[in-house]
Amino acid sequence: MTLHRPQIAALLGIAGLALLTGATDTTPKPVPIDQALARKGEAVYTRNCVSCHGELGDGRGYSAQWLEPRPRDFTSGVFKCRSTPSGTLPVNEDLLRTLNVGFFHTYMPPWAVLGEPSLRAVIEYIKTFSPKWKEEAPGTPIVIPPEPADDEASRKRGALVWKNNQCEKCHGPNGKGDGPAVPTLRDDWGFPDPPFNFVASPNRKCGNTNADLYRTFMTGVNGSPMPSFGDSISPQEAWDLVHYILTLRQPAGSEYNIAVHY
Amino acid sequence: MGSRGSLVAVLVALGAVLLPTSAGAIPAFARKYGVACSVCHTNWPRLNRFGIEFRDNGYRMNRERDNPVTQPGTYWPLAFRTTVGYQYLAQTDVPVQPTASNPNGLTTTQTGTFGFAGLDILTAGTLGEQINFLVVYTPSLAGAGFQTSPGAIEDSDLESAWVGFTRLFGTPFLNVRVGKASPDLPVDEHRTYWLTVPHQIYFFQAQGTAVTYSPGDNQAGVEVYGHSELSNFRYSVQLANEGGQPLFSANWVSNPVLWGHVQYFHLTGNDFLVSIEPGVFGAAGWQATRYLNDPTGTAPVSGTGYSMQNYYRIGGELHFQFLSAVNPLTLDGAVMFGSDSSALINGGFNSDGTPTQSAQWMGGFAELTWTPSPFLTLGFMYQRIATLQQGSTDFSHAIGDYDSWGLLVRYYIELTSRAGVALHAEFSQAATTTGGLPSGVGPPQGTTLLLGIDFAY
Repeated sequence: MTLHRPQIAALLGIAGLALLTGATDTTPKPVPIDQALARKGEAVYTRNCVSCHGELGDGRGYSAQWLEPRPRDFTSGVFKCRSTPSGTLPVNEDLLRTLNVGFFHTYMPPWAVLGEPSLRAVIEYIKTFSPKWKEEAPGTPIVIPPEPADDEASRKRGALVWKNNQCEKCHGPNGKGDGPAVPTLRDDWGFPDPPFNFVASPNRKCGNTNADLYRTFMTGVNGSPMPSFGDSISPQEAWDLVHYILTLRQPAGSEYNIAVHY
Repeated sequence: MGSRGSLVAVLVALGAVLLPTSAGAIPAFARKYGVACSVCHTNWPRLNRFGIEFRDNGYRMNRERDNPVTQPGTYWPLAFRTTVGYQYLAQTDVPVQPTASNPNGLTTTQTGTFGFAGLDILTAGTLGEQINFLVVYTPSLAGAGFQTSPGAIEDSDLESAWVGFTRLFGTPFLNVRVGKASPDLPVDEHRTYWLTVPHQIYFFQAQGTAVTYSPGDNQAGVEVYGHSELSNFRYSVQLANEGGQPLFSANWVSNPVLWGHVQYFHLTGNDFLVSIEPGVFGAAGWQATRYLNDPTGTAPVSGTGYSMQNYYRIGGELHFQFLSAVNPLTLDGAVMFGSDSSALINGGFNSDGTPTQSAQWMGGFAELTWTPSPFLTLGFMYQRIATLQQGSTDFSHAIGDYDSWGLLVRYYIELTSRAGVALHAEFSQAATTTGGLPSGVGPPQGTTLLLGIDFAY
């Protein structure tokens, strides 16, 4: 068969359109759940997680009624500590970090002792509870730039960021978690969700490193009243805020931190 | 409906009643943390890796929810555990009055009793930032009915009472326990599945020895222990007084005994052989063999003992987990060599006046345990202890040698965050060689069947 010029042009046009379409459809595809791994994870979940998170993963295990804050509801596909933008699913490494470290000030213990294979398996099983994992891809992790010098100037700028973004509305003027908005703060499930007390403890929920704190500002804490500031403050401002917040911590037993060091 | 049909119906109904409804918890800590008991135990009472790490950390999860001031005022760290049910015992070669039909004067006794195996009333937890504790009270068990383990029927006592200080100088490698605590053992005797057969190497003594130290019993002393962050590497050294001694040596630590144990746990990353854990352990003790007498010259005075003589134990262990790190098939093995100084055997002299020699023995156990789910445990254990050298010519070579094996099934019918209930079936046979039996008569053998309900709250 011989192709004439109009036919060649049409074919080239179709091919170009296809290429163009492919090039513009950058939406990440959901990652299929590894069912074999999830089956292994079910055993880990049944043994260790059911009492709090429930057999259905809905955060209504038989111990949940006694726990404050309540265990996470996996059916919602909403996760607190992520490296991905607000409202998106976390990547596996985010969930692995949470499992390894646990959550301070909650009853979620660190599970590192179970070993990474078991933790990766249970992560895969947790994904089976929410259809979100079949419909959406995890978000793209934010890039955390190198930390600049933690000096007086940075802390002063951070104090301004704190003020301009009304952090004290929730966290209070001294960061004790006693801001005027506290009585109104609820999580997505309607349970009281008090803001973090930066004075009392160096152990923050989403990790203790400065980078963890930076990441929390920029991605928010999904499911809680803590929003993401990724669109409203610059990376420099976020690091300044980190440096300011670190100054809020008071030694245990000091007049600002009496009997809260436990 | 015929009799077979009735039986099937009863079994089906029973099965429906007994089906577990949920995963569960260890009572005292479950109430505190809300976690299932299967978090800390492969199946209770045996600890898994999480439980070992939790205990090593001073009963802390280290998420700022551990100390008493973080708990509701109604929280009280109290729990108890006992086993009720039926026990059958058969014992061969029991001496009786000889008759024409029984000229050897030996018979086999059989007893079947309903009763309970023991009771632990325990409280444990944290006292402060780096301070933790355990107290276990065992009331008098004169009416227990079961004869399950050494010392099970005795006066009420504090089975255990200690205070611990963790992370001294900020490192998990330095922790201290002060008080009556269990030596760190290859397989924890106080958290074993077995109710009718103890791990005998922890209790075995040579014939004629004055040594009473049993690492299977809790010891009053001070323990220094440490571990890596995930408790993969662990060590323990305990200095104690040798228990059960009415007279003590005149030392700053009377009749001292040191117990040491080192373990290393390694996850292989292999789906079949999941983990390996080798370890070594041992004890060295010193006991007085001479005393000053009272003014009448007849009774030794406590606290004047001298001429210290040594005994020691040394052993190795290997633990394997197969198939799964979560619900594993576990093989535990340990061997131990024991030696007591000649001066500790029969007061240093045989009945014919000749001097004794050191007594030496070697023993071990192999224990296979399968936990296909948090609700079921199947177990098999074999043990053997053989005399290598009798200390005294008064005893023939094999006297005291020990053989045993056992099978068990534990099915957990209730595991909640408040209580745990397990149906426990255990069968075991144990034989200990004795002297004075007619030729052709084997060593006396005890057979035990225990059908019980083991529960904790």
